[in-house]
Amino acid sequence: MNSARPPPFFDPREADFRSSSIAVEALMLCALRVFTKTNFYEECVSCFAKLHGRRSGAGKTTAILSHGFGTDQDAWASLRPWFEERFDVISFDLAGCGPAGAESYDFDRHGSMFGYADDLIELIDELGVQGCIYVGHSMSSMIGAAAACARPELFTRMVMIGASPRYLNEGDYVGGFEQEGLDQLFASMAANFQAWVAGFAPMVVGIDDREAVADFSRTLFQMRPDIALNTSRTIFGSDMRRTARRVPTPVHLIQTASDVAVPLQVGEWLAATIPDATLDIIDASGHLPHITAPVEVLRIIEQRLAGILS
Amino acid sequence: MTPSSSEALYELCGFARVACDAALVIALEVDDAGRAAPVASSPPHGFSSFNLARSGVFDVEWSASPDGADKYRLPTAVVDALPEMPGALLFVPAPVEHAPRSGLLLLWTQPAVPTPLVEHVRLLASSVASTLAARREAVRQVAMRDQFNDLLESVPSGIVLFDGDGQSAMINERAAALLACSSGSHRASDLAAPMRALRQRCDNHAELETTYAAQVGNVHYAAIHHWVLGDRTYEVDTHPVSGDGQHGRIWLFTDVTAELRIAAKLRGLAQSDPLTGLPNRRHFEEHSIQILTAAGAAARIVALLMVDVDHFKRINDTHGHPVGDAVLKAVAGRCNDVLRDGDLFARFGGEEFIGMLTIATENEVAVVAERLRCNR
Repeated sequence: MNSARPPPFFDPREADFRSSSIAVEALMLCALRVFTKTNFYEECVSCFAKLHGRRSGAGKTTAILSHGFGTDQDAWASLRPWFEERFDVISFDLAGCGPAGAESYDFDRHGSMFGYADDLIELIDELGVQGCIYVGHSMSSMIGAAAACARPELFTRMVMIGASPRYLNEGDYVGGFEQEGLDQLFASMAANFQAWVAGFAPMVVGIDDREAVADFSRTLFQMRPDIALNTSRTIFGSDMRRTARRVPTPVHLIQTASDVAVPLQVGEWLAATIPDATLDIIDASGHLPHITAPVEVLRIIEQRLAGILS
Repeated sequence: MTPSSSEALYELCGFARVACDAALVIALEVDDAGRAAPVASSPPHGFSSFNLARSGVFDVEWSASPDGADKYRLPTAVVDALPEMPGALLFVPAPVEHAPRSGLLLLWTQPAVPTPLVEHVRLLASSVASTLAARREAVRQVAMRDQFNDLLESVPSGIVLFDGDGQSAMINERAAALLACSSGSHRASDLAAPMRALRQRCDNHAELETTYAAQVGNVHYAAIHHWVLGDRTYEVDTHPVSGDGQHGRIWLFTDVTAELRIAAKLRGLAQSDPLTGLPNRRHFEEHSIQILTAAGAAARIVALLMVDVDHFKRINDTHGHPVGDAVLKAVAGRCNDVLRDGDLFARFGGEEFIGMLTIATENEVAVVAERLRCNR
């Protein structure tokens, strides 16, 4: 049995009721429960609150910024001001991420990318948003793809930074990883999370940027180790190629020329497979260009979204 | 895990899909909070679990006819499993204890559903529910067994558990090591021989055979005995499970060698005189009663000897206490040498010793006493 799993009678969502600000909301919404037959918890705690959503900016069109594994919504700090000038910006912490990540994470629901996609749709529906621009980094790229397949009307454009539909090599498909390497990665994560972060963070950042490495290490540490392990299993075990083939939304892919998690072939595969996609390669290194090369990333986004911005 | 009920659910999904010309049929175990575990589907698909609480599926009273899919918020995993966007769906509730929102979810990719059999798919509800319940129970049993096994191995004892039907038995790793067989499930008859072999290897096997032989056929038998295997001693506890032989019998093997050793050491310390090594007065008082009782029963003579060292105070005063101690040790040793093994000889206090001997004739007392006095 998976020892990392909490015992079945423990519902991590119960913890939400203990936080006082949510408790007030919960009390108010409890009254509603009499009139609705839906789930108590679902009524009481909004998805936006649960995922510590932030909304800012002056624009009419909504832009949703969804971060990747090992970071939280602070990862958008460099890009956010640009978006705020032009959009109604929504960001949030993915389940399991951010300072209170353990409260939003469900080992069953978030054992697949679709669980995160369901969260995203719930959050968008809750805020009554339609036709948004979605910017996803890393795992959030395929989360967005799954959400767009299920609810095309919610998205008009998608920007995917460092996207990969499958990390494992298979036949002609180059994902960049072999099962053996992944097993080693999981084993070292489980054995000594701290030591693993110390090695993993500089590799993912990919350039000699101490501040970026320190920030990424900090947000990685912020994750509960068992959740981090389960999340990376979910990501590296995912195969979203089927989903990628069906994405109904125009997609702009951005990645660096040298990314430890995403080989160039992956970006090329996605660009060729997603029905309507562009691919821009930044002549830089690392998996976090929105943090380490924000000017370049913004230049591409500005260019690609020109039609919408005018 | 449970091939029968899981397979049956796949069959039911397949049947419903063909009969209704549906694109996808999923058997869902759904708890009160809407957490849905897809346990089977047709076509088969590797679903992860999702939540249906806000999907809208539970907000309507489902009749026999499908509904437009656009009114519902379907989990992305379900949409992904379809070849195209969903057009219509039908939910057939099949409530199960502890999973009251369970049921069969049928999906079509066209908005209009033509086949006439759709209205009859509700007839499957009770089959789906009972199969879901059977599967759930089987999964629970497996989980309990896993938990039980973990527990079984966390106990510092060898455990042999015979089922009430007398057919099967389960042993943990410690018991397996003792019985020289593998841990896990066995046929009860296959464990009888190793159990007997272990008992026969015991130093006290004759006594054990007699003890257990007297209890053959007694389902309520409960006892704790020591099995002595060379330098190790096992406390063997056997009793019926839940006080009733119909529910099986448990044998617990606990290695008590270290405990016995410590207990013996403590007993020795409490009963002997630290200076001379002779039994102390407490030991004498306890054992003299036993000797008197035994002798009384056997109509034998018991003699009591008081032995003391003359002018002992002068030895201490002249040569010091260390020499006095040495004298007491020497006296104790010499007396011990003269007496027989069965005689009780103790330090009574100070320079006084006391002996209790079982003898055949009264004359013998004087002989022994004189031998003690002259011994040098």
